[in-house]
Formats: sequence, C-alpha cells, structure tokens
Amino acid sequence: MTALLETRGVWQRFGGLVANSDVSISVGRGEIVGLIGPNGAGKSTLFNLIAGVLPPTQGSIWFDGEDVTRLPAAERCQRGIGRTFQVVKSFETMTVIDNVIVGALIRNTVMRVARRKAYEVLEFCGLAARANVLASDLVPSEKRRLEVARALATEPKLLLLDEVLTGLTPVEAKTGVELVRKVRDTGVTVLMVEHVMEIVMPLVDRAIVLDLGKVLVEGKPNEVVRDPKVITAYLGDRHAVGA
Amino acid sequence: MDKDFAKRRRRELIVAFCLAVIAALVPLFVKDVYVQNVMVLTLMYAALSQSWNILSGYCGQISLGHALYFGLGAYTTALLFTKFGVLPWFGMLAGGVISALIAMALGYPCFRLRGHYFVIATIVIAEIGLLLIQNWEWAGAALGIDIPVRGDSWLKFQFTRSKLPYFYFALALACVAWFVTWWLEDSKWGYWWRAVKDNPDAAESLGVVVFNSKMGAAAVSAFLVAVGGSFYAQFVSYIDPESVMGFQFSLLMALPAVLGGIGTLWGPLLGAVILIPLTELTRSFIGGSGRGVDLIVYGTLIVLISLALPRGLVSLFARPKFFWRKAAVR
Repeated sequence: MTALLETRGVWQRFGGLVANSDVSISVGRGEIVGLIGPNGAGKSTLFNLIAGVLPPTQGSIWFDGEDVTRLPAAERCQRGIGRTFQVVKSFETMTVIDNVIVGALIRNTVMRVARRKAYEVLEFCGLAARANVLASDLVPSEKRRLEVARALATEPKLLLLDEVLTGLTPVEAKTGVELVRKVRDTGVTVLMVEHVMEIVMPLVDRAIVLDLGKVLVEGKPNEVVRDPKVITAYLGDRHAVGA
Repeated sequence: MDKDFAKRRRRELIVAFCLAVIAALVPLFVKDVYVQNVMVLTLMYAALSQSWNILSGYCGQISLGHALYFGLGAYTTALLFTKFGVLPWFGMLAGGVISALIAMALGYPCFRLRGHYFVIATIVIAEIGLLLIQNWEWAGAALGIDIPVRGDSWLKFQFTRSKLPYFYFALALACVAWFVTWWLEDSKWGYWWRAVKDNPDAAESLGVVVFNSKMGAAAVSAFLVAVGGSFYAQFVSYIDPESVMGFQFSLLMALPAVLGGIGTLWGPLLGAVILIPLTELTRSFIGGSGRGVDLIVYGTLIVLISLALPRGLVSLFARPKFFWRKAAVR
C-alpha cells in the first residue's frame, strides 16, 4: 500500500536561511504521526509546505498518489488535506456553526445539508452547545476545538494539526488527546506538530524528529525519546552523556 | 436548531414584505412633491448601499470608488438612448453588465492588495474614470448629456408629470437589492465572503478560493449599483460627470451601511432611512451657500456611531430582544 502523504527531497529556503533541507517523510493511511523538534527546527515550514501555503524551493509533495507540489491550499483541501493553525484563525464575526459551515460547503452544495453536516461535526467535537455563539466569544481551548471542527467538516483524508494541544491545561489537553484518537478512529490520518513531548508521545504511532531543517530521527515514540541525538537536539550535548 | 434558523430566515422575509407594502402605501398619503423626491432618493440610496454592502460589508473589500459603477450605469443608459435610441431598460441591463465586467477587470490586479491599499486603489480608479469621462467629447465631456423628453411612458421610462413611477421603481430596486442580499446570505457565496473578510488564510485552507470570491462579490455589487445609476439618469434626466461619478456618491453608498451596520442585512436600509432625509433637509434648510454642511453632518454621525455603537444602529435592535428573552426565562 502506498503512503497517503510523501515528501520527496523537499527544500525550502528563505533568502539565505534554509528552513527545510532534503526532507523526505511519509505518512501511511490511518496513522497518527507526530512531527516534533526544538524551536526553529523547520516543523511549521514543512507543515505549511504540505498544506500548500507556499510551494517548496525544491522537491515534490505527493498526496494520495498524486503530485500536489504546485497546487494552492484551496485545491489541496479539495483533494483531502485539512489543517488547523497554530495561532487560531477563527472567523471572529461569524457564529461557531457558521465557521464550520464554511468548511462543510466544499463537499456539500445544498445549504441545508451543509448546515446539518456542520452540526454533526460540532457534536463530534463537543462544541454543539456553543453552536450559535460568536467565535470571538469562545475561550481559547474551545477555539482550538473549533479549528479542528472546521477542518473536519471538509472531510479530510489527512488532518494536519499544528500545536493543537500546546498551551492547554492538563484536563483540556486530555480531552484534546481523546478527540484526536476519535478522529483517527473515523479513518482520518493525522499528522501533528507538537511541542509538549509527554502529551504527544503516548498518542502517536510514529514520531519524526526534525532538527535544523533535517530529519534527525524517525521511529516508535519510546525509541525516539531515548535516542541520544534527540536528547542532544533538545537539551544540548551535556545531557546526552547522562542518557 | 435547524428549525430555528429556518424560522429566522422566514421572519426576515415577512418583515421585509410588510415594510415594502407600507412603503408602497406612503405616497397615497404624502402628496408633497418635495417629500416624494426625498423618498425616491432614500430608496435609491438604500438600494445602492445594500449593493455596496455585498462587496464591502460581507466580503470585507472596502470600496470608496463605487461612484465609478454608478456613473457607468448612468452614462451607458443615457448614451445608448441619445445616440442610438436604445430603450433605457436595455441600457440599464447593458450598464449593469459593463460595470460587472469592469469591476472584475479592475479586481484582477486590485484584489491582490489588502486593507488600506485596496481602498486607496478604488478611490484613485474612480477618479481616473471621472477624468476620462470629463475629457471624452463624444460622451458630452464636462457638459454632460441632456436626456431628451419624449413623453411619459414606462417603455421609455420617462415621467415628467409625476414622481410616483420613479418612486415605485426605486422601491422595487431597493427590494431587489435587499432580496439578493438575503438570498446570498445563506448561500455558499455568503459564507465564503464572510470567511474571506474575517480571515483569508483560514478561508483558503478550507477550500475557499479567495480571489474568485472577491471577484464574484465585485461583479454582483457593481451590477446592482450600475442599475441604480441608470435609474438616476432617467430620474434627473440630465447627467454630467461630476453629478453621477463624483466622489460624494462613493461616500453616500458607504455611509448608510456603516451607519446602519456594515455587513448586516438591515444596516444599509436603516442607515439610508436616517441619513438621506437628514442630508436633504440640512441641504434645503441651509441652501446653496451651505455646501459641505451635509458633510459635517455625516462626519458627526459617523464619529458618534463608531464610538457608541461600533456594530451600527442595527445592534440596537439586537439588544432589547436579548432582554425580553431573559425576562421570559425568569
């Protein structure tokens, strides 16, 4: 079976800065893959390349057996890539349900159907009670969930989650983790960028560690966290010896 | 929840229908020609502002150059009639289509601009349009066009003896603009536009083609405004560049919506009903020497509204309902 998502030798340069150099990763169907790494490792850049915010300087991106390297974000969404934003980007003047309807409209052209679909997604994400509230009135953890709901309404095959669990209280993070599992159980593949190792590691099937724009290590989460290279990247040389 | 929404939509339609019927009956009681004239203008600006609101309110692309489309509508109709004898009804349609096409042609470069830069571009383009018409000999240049009177008829859309036909046309136009907005509000375009206004990046990630949505909004908006311009040409029966394409028209389309509530269904109508009679009254009260006093009135109103009710006058209507509901629960 071919991978759902594959990046082949992807480079991204911003002027003299190399954000991604020769990154080749693949994500299989039904997996939850964690993309981790210290600040400035190039996680967000890679994420944006996959979502189609900008095309890579070099290399190609394959999704579901198709080269999507040059496709703009909207068309990738059409193909089945859904995403959330690290800094939440709710439609603030619209109600929660209307936010989700925007996402639902890509698969449903009849308004009544789109509205019902949006409501189902809100129930799935535990936001149904807030359906008619303005997005600007939501608390931060609810806004994160709205990001996920909106992306899910586009019925993605691959869901890209950009730090959805960061900055939440432990209880909120726990419900977040449950939500991600629930999403995967519906057959959606998940690629998530995360900072907080202890939350992500039990959740993901596989972790890919980026450092200085390159893939450092890839493997089972418990192996990855013990890898001296990873510890060095996160904590510096001094701690690697102790490990 | 689905039912609540459908109920709200239906209620809006009923309210609009009742308002239209009441408005249609007003001339039976108001015979004064001056007042009728003010009513025609009020309805026309309600329609124009409603159309402006589609691009600038819902889609968030603030245009201060809509006078261009107004003028295009007026000139197309007047030129086709005086030069080729084409009936104003066809001129109206032609003006609308030409304006929509020009709006898209201009949108092609301009929609890459964001925020203030876009606003500046719209002002400048409208000014260029004004200058071009002012120097176009065939179209009457700065002297303008006198639309010849060929007797009262609906066919030629000319009425010299009574303002009433104009009143009913303006009313119909306001109804159409309102209905188009109402209909678009719960359509794919309506959701896309609001998403584009609030956050284009997020919209794009959800499959919204931001550029096309802006183009669509511009075309609909320009078409309706041009129809308004065609009507105005027939109504005043004499047009010159400054009187149909001047900057004040761009302002007078934007202000009612801003006053009433930008990006809302009822805002433009509410704003026009308050602003236009007020303007006309101050203008006639002060007379020819007071040119510019109406501008002071707008300015003061806008400052007051943006300080006290940033979401426009319609937010006044939302609040009491909230209180009633609370009271009912207790």
